[in-house]
Amino acid sequence: MALSAAQRLMEQSKVPPSEIGAIFYAGAIPQSHVAGACASGNPFNYPVALLQYELELERAMAIGISQVGCMGLNSAVGLARDFLLSNGDAEHVLCVSADVLPCGVKREILYNVISDGACAVLVSRGSERNRLLYRRQVTKGYYWDSVGKKNEIIAAYFPTAQHLIRSTLEGAGVTKEDIRWIIPHNVSRRSWEILLDLVELPMERLFAGNIPRIGHVIAADNWINLRDMMEWNLLRSGDKLLLVNFGFGANWACTVMEY
Amino acid sequence: MHTVFVTGASGVLGEAIVERLRIHPAVAQIFALAHQSAVPAGIEPAQGDITAETDLGMEARTAEKIRSEATIIIHAAADTRFSAALPEAQHTNVDGTGNLLNFSAACRQQPRVVVLSTVYVAGRRSGVVYENELEHDAGFVNAYEQSKYQAERQVRKHKDELPVTVVRLSTVIGDSEGHVTRLAALHHALRFYYSSLAPMVPGSDTSLVDLVALDYAANAVVHLAVDGFAAGKTYQVCGGMDCLTLREMLDLAFECFLCFRPAWRKRAIEKPAVVPLRTFELFVRSVEEIGDEGLRASVGVLKHFAPQLAYPKQFDDSALRAALPDLSKPVIRELFPRVVRCLIESGWEPTRWSEAQCP
Repeated sequence: MALSAAQRLMEQSKVPPSEIGAIFYAGAIPQSHVAGACASGNPFNYPVALLQYELELERAMAIGISQVGCMGLNSAVGLARDFLLSNGDAEHVLCVSADVLPCGVKREILYNVISDGACAVLVSRGSERNRLLYRRQVTKGYYWDSVGKKNEIIAAYFPTAQHLIRSTLEGAGVTKEDIRWIIPHNVSRRSWEILLDLVELPMERLFAGNIPRIGHVIAADNWINLRDMMEWNLLRSGDKLLLVNFGFGANWACTVMEY
Repeated sequence: MHTVFVTGASGVLGEAIVERLRIHPAVAQIFALAHQSAVPAGIEPAQGDITAETDLGMEARTAEKIRSEATIIIHAAADTRFSAALPEAQHTNVDGTGNLLNFSAACRQQPRVVVLSTVYVAGRRSGVVYENELEHDAGFVNAYEQSKYQAERQVRKHKDELPVTVVRLSTVIGDSEGHVTRLAALHHALRFYYSSLAPMVPGSDTSLVDLVALDYAANAVVHLAVDGFAAGKTYQVCGGMDCLTLREMLDLAFECFLCFRPAWRKRAIEKPAVVPLRTFELFVRSVEEIGDEGLRASVGVLKHFAPQLAYPKQFDDSALRAALPDLSKPVIRELFPRVVRCLIESGWEPTRWSEAQCP
């Protein structure tokens, strides 16, 4: 799935593989960091290197991102931006995520319905679309044990997200009124009602259409939603977008983008 | 010299009242109506049940002795559970008060009757609540409030035939040293906050949280019953002008957690969000529908009393201050940290002065 998503993106973007300076691959669960069949019994195989090879990204540095749960792709995009800012000769970074829940694992996790899926995002220097204006991430290590601290995480989710959204807007120099769309991670719609009440943003600005349609595609939600909004002509040039995300490993992130 | 009959003597406040009556120079004898719990040492136990119509469930001989000797009756017995269903709360608080009033009317010394109530008979009212006010149609946050409101209405009906006065208590947070002899909803809520299980509280930053010290409350009741009784009055024993706002209370608790348990800082726990009631109810519904037991327990405690904060009000205590001008009241900004400290140091176990580790 990761390869398929990345290949389609590379074809559509028309960016030559040789211009990709780095590939970041994110997976939320350990199984996502083993290429091919686990049955091989070889734990030392690395999907990000396989992707680099298959996509022929000969100049790309390949790095895997784990332990940030559903925030993997979001973290990858943030790191890609930082990579481009600190590597003057790099023009593009390819970010990819893929997760498939193992057979038999319950698909209702912490009030959310989980889907399998993959997504690829190209972060390019000087892009005129979807400019990353500001991003903040908060990690609260106290909640490191996602099962053992399940109740505490649910309780911490709202006040932490509330503070993060407020501080991100402030850091980006935009107001609540400037935000045209909130692009969610596809956790339960009711949790969005609660959170948006807390930050006093109207539900009408939440792109909620994909929550019942595709569920929570682990790390990919924000970016699948952005892609669908583009395809469905929901976005206008200059729209300010707020991407909000949470991942096990106790990470909250919020990004302001301009379409 | 007085003979005092006390109901609810094994409760937190009842116990504190009895302790003071025992050393009061104008009190010669104390009878305590006990249901299941034992009564404090040194007083006459009168096993019975406030919900029993005949003689409050006491042995006929004991009931007769009290009827003939009591000069003061303090009615402290109540079902104070915020989560109780209305019929249960009414059974103890309304029927029980009715039984007590009937018993009082049959006493031969025409005793003074002091009925303890709650300032939250004001229910969902907002604004300033005066002591002489009762009737309203604003509704109630829980069955406890509603049943105590109904009990007070019943008392008012008897005020021409009985020398009766009502003393409404605010939330008793602990004694003036900070010790908490029995944990109540507020203490559990603080524990949930400390443990990162309290995501949000309904209300506004400026909603007032009215808290009062146990010894102040008990002293007030004893003074009003023994030394300065005035029939037909209602007094509010409350913080009054000395209250914390909800925001101040959350901030102060946060500071206390950091101060008295420095390692708590490491957890980076957020302060609960202060939210409209609608948002809080949405969260409660979600947890009740699909949350597991731990979070349900936290939400279960909060949901029965925290909505009161969404109806900001201030309780006036002018009549009480006029009646007891010399009664000293601990300052809440000093008392609250003492209570939080004792809770933290005891691991949220009840403490008494003699047992406590706290200074």
